[in-house]
Amino acid sequence: MSVETHAHHEHPDVVGSRNRLGVVLLLVADIAFALSMIFVYFYLRQQNVNDMWLPAATSEHPAITPLASGAGWTVTAIAAFGLLAHFYGLKGVRAGNQTQLKLGSLVALVASIAAIVYQFNTIATAPFTFSDGAYVSCFYMFAILNFVHIMLTIFISLGNWNRARLGIYKSDHWHVDIVNVWWVWMVVSSLLGAFALSHP
Amino acid sequence: MTTVMSKPVSAPGKSIIEKLNFFTALALGALSAIVVWRLALQFLPQDTEVRLFTREDKITLLSMTAWFVGFMTGIGALVGPFRWLMGKDLTHEENMFLAGKDMGVKRYFRYTTDHKVVGIQYLVITMLIFGIGGILAMLIRTNLGTPEGGWIHPQAYNSIVGTHGIVMIVGTIIMVTGPFGNFIMPIMIGARDMAFPRLNALSFWLIVAAAVPLLWGQFLGGISTGWTAYNPLASQAPLGMDGYIMFICIFAISTMVAGANITTTVVKMRAKGMTWNRTPIFIYGVVASVALALPAFPVFFLSQVLSAMDRALDTSFYNTAGGGSGWLYENLFWIMGHPEVYVILIPAVAALMEMAPVFTRNPLFSFNVAIMGIAGISGLSILVWAHHMYMSGWAPLLNTPFMLTTELISIPTGMLFLVLVGTLWRGRLWMTMPTMSIFALLWNFMIGGITGIYLSDVPADAFLHGSMYVTAHFHYTLMGAGLTGALAALVYWFPAMTGRMFDKKLSWISFWMVQIGFNIAFIGMFTVGLAGQPRRVEAYASTFNTGNMITTGGAYLIMTGMLVLLYGVISSWRSGVIAPKNPWQAKTLEWTVGYPVPLENFDVLPVVTSDPYGYGKAKS
Ligand code: HEM
Ligand SMILES: [Cu+2]
Repeated sequence: MSVETHAHHEHPDVVGSRNRLGVVLLLVADIAFALSMIFVYFYLRQQNVNDMWLPAATSEHPAITPLASGAGWTVTAIAAFGLLAHFYGLKGVRAGNQTQLKLGSLVALVASIAAIVYQFNTIATAPFTFSDGAYVSCFYMFAILNFVHIMLTIFISLGNWNRARLGIYKSDHWHVDIVNVWWVWMVVSSLLGAFALSHP
Repeated sequence: MTTVMSKPVSAPGKSIIEKLNFFTALALGALSAIVVWRLALQFLPQDTEVRLFTREDKITLLSMTAWFVGFMTGIGALVGPFRWLMGKDLTHEENMFLAGKDMGVKRYFRYTTDHKVVGIQYLVITMLIFGIGGILAMLIRTNLGTPEGGWIHPQAYNSIVGTHGIVMIVGTIIMVTGPFGNFIMPIMIGARDMAFPRLNALSFWLIVAAAVPLLWGQFLGGISTGWTAYNPLASQAPLGMDGYIMFICIFAISTMVAGANITTTVVKMRAKGMTWNRTPIFIYGVVASVALALPAFPVFFLSQVLSAMDRALDTSFYNTAGGGSGWLYENLFWIMGHPEVYVILIPAVAALMEMAPVFTRNPLFSFNVAIMGIAGISGLSILVWAHHMYMSGWAPLLNTPFMLTTELISIPTGMLFLVLVGTLWRGRLWMTMPTMSIFALLWNFMIGGITGIYLSDVPADAFLHGSMYVTAHFHYTLMGAGLTGALAALVYWFPAMTGRMFDKKLSWISFWMVQIGFNIAFIGMFTVGLAGQPRRVEAYASTFNTGNMITTGGAYLIMTGMLVLLYGVISSWRSGVIAPKNPWQAKTLEWTVGYPVPLENFDVLPVVTSDPYGYGKAKS
C-alpha cells in the first residue's frame, strides 16, 4: 500500500481551499438556521396572536415592554471588535508578522469572552420570565442561541490564539483565514438578531 | 500500598485515541445520563403552579443531552477538535490509526474515518432502522386487519405509528447517500477518501447517538403525534416527545455535517479529467440530495429547539394562549419537509440512472436533461411546502400559488422519467434485479406522482387530505420509488462493497415478493382512502374492512420478501460467489479498484479521459 501520495503531502493551498469550502457549507446550514429564527420572530410579531406578542398588564403582571434594543447592538459591537482584532492578526500573519498575529488573536479571544459575559448578563437580568408572551419567547431564542454561538466562537478563537502562540502558523496560515470567515458570520448573525430585536 | 500491580493501566504511549470505542461511548453516555438525571432530580426547583410539568421535561432533556455529550466524547469525537485547540494536530500515524489501518473487524466499532468503513456502518444501521420500522409497520397492519382494533392499546398504537413514520423517514434519508454515498462515491470520483474523514465518522456516530433518545422516549409515553409532531399537540404530549426532539436535533447535525462533507468532496476532489460532463449522474444525485438537505434540516432543527423550549421552559412559540402559533410549526416543518422528500427520492432515482446504461449498454439518454431534471426538482421543491397545509386554514389565498408550484414539479419529474425510458428504449436489456427495478420505479413512481397531482389540487385535497389516500401516495413515492432504487443499488454495488455477488435467485424472489406485495398493499390503501378512511386511526368502520384486509395481506407479503432479501444479504456476504473485478462491465471508477479496496483506494490517482457512458452511439 502506498502512502507517498497520501493527503498528508498535499499542498497546503489545496487543503486550505477544501477546508474553506467545507466551512462555508457548514455556514450555509447555520445561515439557514439564523434566517429561520428571523422568520419565527417576524411571523409571531406580525400575527400577534391573542394580543400576546407583548401582553398587556393584568392583575398579576405589569404590561410586558420590550427591552431597549441596545443590548443586541452591544453584542454586535463586541463581535465586530473581535472581528477587527482577528483581521488585524490575519493581516499580520499574511505579512509574516507573527507578533501581530499573536496580539490580534489574543484580543479576538478576549472579545469573545467579553461577549459571552455580556450575553449571559442580558439573559440573567431580563425583566421577565419565559412565559411572558411571544416577544419574550423570541428574545430568549435569540439570546440563548447567540450564547451558544459565542461559546463556539470562544473555542475557535482560543484554539486560534493558542496555535498562533505556538508558532504553528509560520508555514501556512489558512486556518487563520477560515477563522476570519467565521468571525464575519458571527458579526452578521449578531447583527441579524439585533436588527430583529430592535423591531418590537 | 506496597502490593505491586505490575499491569499498567495502559501501555505507555497508548494514546486516548486507541482506547475509545463504541463500548466506552456507551458506558460514558449512560453514566453521564444517569449522573445528570440524578442531579437534575435533586436540584431542579419544583414547578410553580402556573407552570406545571415543565420540570419533568427539563430533567428528561438534560439527561438526554448528557447521554449525547457523553456518548460522543466516549467515541472520540472530541479528540480531533481538542487536539486542534491544543495545537497538537493528529500525526500521520494517528490518522492512519483512525482510518482503521490493519485493524480488522474492530474498526467497525470505532470512530473510524475510512470512507469504506463508514459506508458499511451506514449500510448496517440502515438495515437495522428498516428492521425496526418494518416490525412497527407489521404491528400497525396487524392491528388494522380487523375493523374493531383493540389488539394494541390506542395510546401505544399512536406511538407505534409516529415512531414507524419518523424511523422510516430517517432510514430512507440515509439509505442511498449513507452506504453508497460514502462507500462508492469517493471511489467513483477517483478520490482517496472524503474531504473530511473525521466529519464522516462524526455524521455516522451522531446517528447512533440519536437513536437512543428515540428508543428511550418509547418508555416515557412514546411519540403520540405522528411523525410530523405537530404543535401544539406535541407540547401537550407525554415525555416521549422529548425523545423525538433530541433525535431530530442530533440527526439534523449529522445531516448538515454529511452534506458539507459530501459536497466538498465532489466539488474539490474529483479525479483529473473528470469534468462536470464526465461526472457520473449518481454523483449529481447524491450532491443534489445532500445540498438540498443542508439548508432544509436547520429549519427542522430550529422547529424542535422551539418545541423543547415550549415544553421545558414554558415559552410560547406554538402555544396560542401565549401568543404562539401552531401554523408557525407547520410552516417550519414543511419548509424542511417537502425538500426532504426529494432528499430521499433524487439519489435513489440517480442510482437507477447510473445502472440503466450499464444494463442496456446504451449511453444515458440525455445527460443534460437528467441534470436539468435534478436541478429543477431541487429548485422547485423549496417553493411548494404549503401544499401540506391547504386544509389547515393557514393563508387560503396562498393555496392557488402553491398549487401552481406543486404542479410545476411534474415537469422536471417528467424529465427523469424521460431519461430512464429513453435509456431503456431499444437497449439490449440485461435482465437483472436492478434492471427490473427501473421498470418497477417507473410504474410505482407514476402512480405516486399522479396521485400527488390529485393531492396538489386544492378542491380534490379538501376531500383527500387526512385520509389513507395520502398515506398510500407517499408510500408509493418513498417506498415504491425510493426504496426500490436503494435495493437495486444494494444488489448492484454489493460486489464492490463485499467482494461477492448478491445471490441472483434470492434477489429475484425478494424483488417480486416485495413489488407484488407492495402494490397489493397500497392499492388497497388507495381504495379505502378514496372511500374516506382517515389515516392514523386505530379502529375503523367495517365498510373499510375489505380494503384493509387486502393491505394487511400485501404487507405480510412485503415482509416475507424483505426477510428473503435479508437472508440474501447475510448469506451472499458470508458465502456468495466471489465477484470478478467488474462484474457488470461498467465504466465508472469504482469497478477499477478490485476487492478488497486498498486503504486509500488508488495507488496512483486515476485520470479520466471519457464520459462514463461510452457504450456506443445513442439511439434516437
Ligand atoms: C409529482 C410529485 C408530487 C406531488 C405533486 C405531490 C403532492 C403531494 C401533496 C399535495 C401532499 C399533501 C397531501 C395532503 O396532506 O393532503 C403530499 C403528501 C406527501 N407526499 Fe407528495 N407529492 C409528490 C411527490 C412526492 C414524492 C416524490 C415524495 C417522496 C419521495 C412525496 C412524499 C410525500 C409525503 C411524505 C407526504 C405526506 C406527508 C404527511 O402528511 O404525512 N411526494 N404530496
Ligand atoms: Cu410535499
